[in-house]
Amino acid sequence: MKTRREFLKTSAGAAACLGGAAALPWILEAASPPRPDLALVHGGTPEKATRAAVEALGGMKRFVSRGDVVVVKPNIGWDRTPEQAANTNPLVVATLVILCLEAGARKVKVFDRPCNDPRRCYEQSGIAPLARRAGAEVSFVDDRRFKETALHGQVLKSWPLYEEILEADKVINVPIAKHHGLAGLTLGLKNWMGIMGGSRGRIHQNIHGALPDLAAAVKPCLTVLDAVRVLTAHGPQGGDLADVKKLDTVAAGVDMVAVDALGATLMGKVPSDIGYIRNAADRGLGTLDLGRVAMKRIEL
Amino acid sequence: MTKKGGSSSLVLARRASQALFLLLFLFLFLQTEQKGADTLGYPVKLFLDFDPLLFLGALLASHALVGAFWLSLLTLLATAVLGRVFCGWVCPLGTLNTLVGSLRKWPARPRVRGWFPLKYLILVFLLAAALFGFQWAGVLDPLSLTVRSLALGLYPALNTGLNALLDLMYRPEAPFWRAAAEAASGFLQRTVLAFQPPRFFQGGAIGALFLGVLALNLLERRFWCRYLCPLGALLGLAGRWAFLKRTVSEGCTSCGLCDGACPGGASTGEGKGWRPSECMVCFNCGDSCPASAASFGFSGKPAPEGVDLSRRRILLAAAAGAAAVPLLRVAPSPRGGRPNPALLRPPGALPEEAFLERCVKCGECMKVCTTNGLQPALLEAGLEGLWTPVLVPRIGYCEYNCTLCGQVCPTGAIARLSREEKVRVKIGLASVDRSRCLPWAQGTPCIVCEEVCPTPTKAVWFEEVPGRNREGAEVLLKRPHVDLDLCIGCGICEAKCPVLDRPAIFVTSTGESRNPDNGLLLR
Repeated sequence: MKTRREFLKTSAGAAACLGGAAALPWILEAASPPRPDLALVHGGTPEKATRAAVEALGGMKRFVSRGDVVVVKPNIGWDRTPEQAANTNPLVVATLVILCLEAGARKVKVFDRPCNDPRRCYEQSGIAPLARRAGAEVSFVDDRRFKETALHGQVLKSWPLYEEILEADKVINVPIAKHHGLAGLTLGLKNWMGIMGGSRGRIHQNIHGALPDLAAAVKPCLTVLDAVRVLTAHGPQGGDLADVKKLDTVAAGVDMVAVDALGATLMGKVPSDIGYIRNAADRGLGTLDLGRVAMKRIEL
Repeated sequence: MTKKGGSSSLVLARRASQALFLLLFLFLFLQTEQKGADTLGYPVKLFLDFDPLLFLGALLASHALVGAFWLSLLTLLATAVLGRVFCGWVCPLGTLNTLVGSLRKWPARPRVRGWFPLKYLILVFLLAAALFGFQWAGVLDPLSLTVRSLALGLYPALNTGLNALLDLMYRPEAPFWRAAAEAASGFLQRTVLAFQPPRFFQGGAIGALFLGVLALNLLERRFWCRYLCPLGALLGLAGRWAFLKRTVSEGCTSCGLCDGACPGGASTGEGKGWRPSECMVCFNCGDSCPASAASFGFSGKPAPEGVDLSRRRILLAAAAGAAAVPLLRVAPSPRGGRPNPALLRPPGALPEEAFLERCVKCGECMKVCTTNGLQPALLEAGLEGLWTPVLVPRIGYCEYNCTLCGQVCPTGAIARLSREEKVRVKIGLASVDRSRCLPWAQGTPCIVCEEVCPTPTKAVWFEEVPGRNREGAEVLLKRPHVDLDLCIGCGICEAKCPVLDRPAIFVTSTGESRNPDNGLLLR
């Protein structure tokens, strides 16, 4: 039988152990540089670059928990092939699907509302076949599932948005970096046009005001920017291989505005010159000051 | 052969063949849809390829041998040996007619109106008109009629109906209902539903006409096949001397049951008479005969009864067909006259005259059109252009990389083009309506037409102009212009223009590649 003294002794020991264990990560963190929130990977294959970018942020387990339903939202806007760089690189998308499943996601959904015929866009972009093979549930957008959503924005008061995005446990945005005739560039924030129902073309009348309103409604846990091939002109649709530049770059980040800001610099622009990035930062959706984000650069 | 009550193996085989071909027809029909790849992967126009009436009609009208129609010679050859087996064993409309006819109970000796000559006269009329370049064979051809009616009328109706049901299922918010609705919707999407519910002008009327044809079976079994079908007439003529013949043995008691059982009205005079041109080789007569006296066998002897047609009637029908052509062309039409701005033909369509000579109005191109933009013409191209395909960009634009309409056209009225050839074909030209365009008329930014313009160097280009809004503030406007050389008239700008009711950019037929006279620029 244990005496009271013995009991107290062992209890205190256990408590000390527990306390020490709890303090351990804190001690380690203090010792090493802060965990990056932004990663920029250059070189390697799209798969390796995507893996390295997510790994640099702490791995997919940082974002996706076991049992999560995850939406991976690429840009599948156009009936173009991967070489034409009008849609997200299919290998980047497929790699993210695999990473989510490896992290224990219950289901990974991939969809977009394209501008051209959805069947051709899904197929010709290579995204549907590769994402499906990676284990994703690839579906076309069903008009019945847009839900009028209050946005309380400065430009958009309310808009029908796609239910599956709103209902998902985690959302990962996977845009491609492209030139855009009106917005200057299309990056992560503009990729949310793919979840808008209705006559979404109208938001071009005030695109820089509308996009932050929209982005505020969707909180991606991770944004992965595909800059493997980028469109430098005639965007967002392209079609001329002379406008395609190979950057072999994948960026990933926690802050959607910071990823767009980084994308802008990759495309040779000043982030604050892009109206919607500036407005999103002003509205507190993130920062465009890349100096304030812990960033890791990786060369493969 | 078995006695009355059971069915003989020949009749069972015939029914199996009918079911199989109908299912194949419906399967190919459902495959006539964009799937995302550049080709369909199935020979969706197979039935039309085997149709000798469409072959003959296109041959006479265009003076050219078209497409894969040489397959239809096989149909003629089979008919010459076996008689109208196509009608009895293969034709999907024939099978539908059989099915509808079996919906009612028939007396042992139903009335036979005996209007057999009518279909031959229709055939002669159509072929005579075709000889003068007036292509209407496809309007009454059973396969063309069936594809068109299903594609433009009944299939859209089925989609509308099923989607309305799904809408109802989606309405309650309860999770159980939602799950059921999603399961049902997914299943139907994978099986019978179209990707987008198709909509066609005149679809209701076209579908109703077809239902009318089916309803005629309640007056008399296979009414259409007996009295109206021009392909049946053509095959009747081809099978006039077929080697497969019916014989009736000594055991015949002249009970007349075979006459009553005959769907074509070919068995006459209590089994003593037999019209080979009307016989669809269904073997019902043998089954119905209590004495097992009726049977089929090969023989070279001349058949007892020919086609009930006088030379005078044939000449009259031919003359009527020929005379109808100028009469039907008196109305002003784009044929040789001023081009119709709304007559946007699919990419690869031949010059209008040649196009009209070949198009059999089967509706395959409209069924397969990715965006539902191809619609049946009413009078845009004159009466002879009835139900020919016209692109209506407000309904759907021509998808830049899609070449499906040319792939499914059975007569080459729409040429089969490679992707590289197709993107160079102009089907019209876009114009900006500056009184409605947002940057032009309202000083409001909008770039949708330029954004969606698919040509590598965009046909829609911007003139950047500093403008002022009502408040007097300066705004930099991007005003769209259309490059006459680059625009291919695909109409995506019109389809996606945010000015929805009457788009601020629209396509007309001027500049179409197939008609240099309808150009705009000095060339």
